[in-house]
Amino acid sequence: MDLELIQQIRGLCRDLLRNGEINCVIGYERASDGLTARPFFAYEPAAVERLIFDETCTHNLVKYLSDKKGEKIAIVAKPCDSRAINLLLNEGQIKRDTVFIIGVYCPGVVETGWNRKGETLQARCQTCQLLKPVVYDFLAGQAPVRRTEGERYPDILEVESKPEDERRAFWLDHFGPCIRCYACRQICPGCYCPECFVERLDPMWVGIRIAPKENELWQAIRAFHLAGRCIGCNECERACPMDIPLSLLNRKLEKEVKELFDFQAGLSSEEQPPFATFKKEEKLGFEE
Amino acid sequence: MNLLMSRDDLIRWLELLLQERTLIAPIRVQGLLLFQPVSKVEDIAFDFDNTTLPPKEWYLPLTETLFSVKSGDGHTELVPATVEREAVIFGVRPCDAKGIAMMDSPFLQEPGDTVYGERRARTALIGLSCKQARPECFCTSMGSAPDDPSNVDILLTEVEDGYIVQAVTDKGKALLPQGLKESKAALPAPPEPQAVPTEGIVQVARKLFDEPYWERLADRCLHCNICAYVCPTCYCFDVRDYPDDGKVERVRSWESCQSPGFTRIAGGYDPRATKGARLRQRFYHKLLYFPEQFQDIACVGCGRCVKACPVNIDIREIINDLQQLGAKSGS
Repeated sequence: MDLELIQQIRGLCRDLLRNGEINCVIGYERASDGLTARPFFAYEPAAVERLIFDETCTHNLVKYLSDKKGEKIAIVAKPCDSRAINLLLNEGQIKRDTVFIIGVYCPGVVETGWNRKGETLQARCQTCQLLKPVVYDFLAGQAPVRRTEGERYPDILEVESKPEDERRAFWLDHFGPCIRCYACRQICPGCYCPECFVERLDPMWVGIRIAPKENELWQAIRAFHLAGRCIGCNECERACPMDIPLSLLNRKLEKEVKELFDFQAGLSSEEQPPFATFKKEEKLGFEE
Repeated sequence: MNLLMSRDDLIRWLELLLQERTLIAPIRVQGLLLFQPVSKVEDIAFDFDNTTLPPKEWYLPLTETLFSVKSGDGHTELVPATVEREAVIFGVRPCDAKGIAMMDSPFLQEPGDTVYGERRARTALIGLSCKQARPECFCTSMGSAPDDPSNVDILLTEVEDGYIVQAVTDKGKALLPQGLKESKAALPAPPEPQAVPTEGIVQVARKLFDEPYWERLADRCLHCNICAYVCPTCYCFDVRDYPDDGKVERVRSWESCQSPGFTRIAGGYDPRATKGARLRQRFYHKLLYFPEQFQDIACVGCGRCVKACPVNIDIREIINDLQQLGAKSGS
């Protein structure tokens, strides 16, 4: 643990809470396993002593901003998480002046589970070049050493190279065990609809059956709703109790959007996401 | 008198059971360990800590058709669901077996849930004692134990020469093969899971309904359904009618009190609209409402929710917190 960084965060949050600039800090504290981290909400200046930051702080806390609308909040954000703040700003979900962003230089996070802390950085961190948050009010920590650039999509290229029937079988095998707990949706900062399509009764797009056909529909539409919006925090895959490789789907769409529109979600709070705009000169990709 | 079954005997016996009935056992599927119908005995996992999901889905499936209604020619017929084959579930841990026994209270009390009752009557449970307690286990604090035979038909406990067999019920005795030798070995001492202070928790919980604790705890809860779906004792469901080609099916699927909108009623009113109210409901159902109605705490200490929760909502910590809050608030 970087004690200097933690003292920096605690001191700042103590001041912000004391002088009433904010009423809550969303950060991290030690989990019940004594080993990893969990989200923590500090309301009183004394509670900031529980705040931590280390390589187990994998959670993207930006999800919670949607629960705290209308409140003055400070939030600890890693670079990847900060992209989700831009996403919410882009989409008019939060007001910039109600959120105090404590950006943290990120040396990467490790694979974690309850009572389990991995030795190596998460796959997404190993090739991540975004070391500094894209939006912040305060920058904590010190710039980490730049990581070696690597191929971001080796596994995607592998799946892409398979024939269609094999890819279909691959996904049906993975969607089969889905129990539709909706953890992937509930943890996603980009999923904030007050009523999700999957729960709509009229029209009933999916229905309540937890079965292969319905699971496939749920998973496919969930992924498409995040095309050009997913910022790659991979929280959905981390949360999935059935180990569905959701990152493959999300990054496939990320890759497509990058190739088609030269756009990556959340890098700027100004640039409109491709599916929220229409330019006359855009090609639709079929007979025109 | 306990019997001994060698490892080869066990394989032969399971092969025999597989011919006669549906055999359900832990099978490794894409990194998960799930109770699934067995097609080959060699697919069964014998050495495991516990399964990803509890075996409750074989009594309360993720999705099932309760009955269908057919009409035509001025005639309407209601066709109830039936359970076609006898089944055996092999490899059930004592905690999970207690979970199933616990579901009997709400499902079999009159008017009983017929399809649940039928599955229960036509399914035998072969339990497997735990050799190790996992860090998240706390079954002994919840009235069970790693070697608790009380809720299975047969309990197997692994020893050097194979398995010590305890035939617990008549249903279990009838399933066992002939000619098993008496076991000379004593049952090994069970592992010791962590203890959680459950003493008096019902009385304590009763006075903490209005504590701000719940809203604060719920801050980090995502209100997904992981905890409920991996829980051996959570049994909430949703029901819907599916019209299809002159036929209507009444379908039941898992649901959970953690879903936003679970209690929303016509007109849009939701009596449990806040995150804190929803989270309190789950823990109060386990620690207060269920025991008030059916005596037992509706938790078996399997620890699956502790392990699976992506934001570390930990029932053991909550029980501890409630005890402390209760002590502070006086009687």
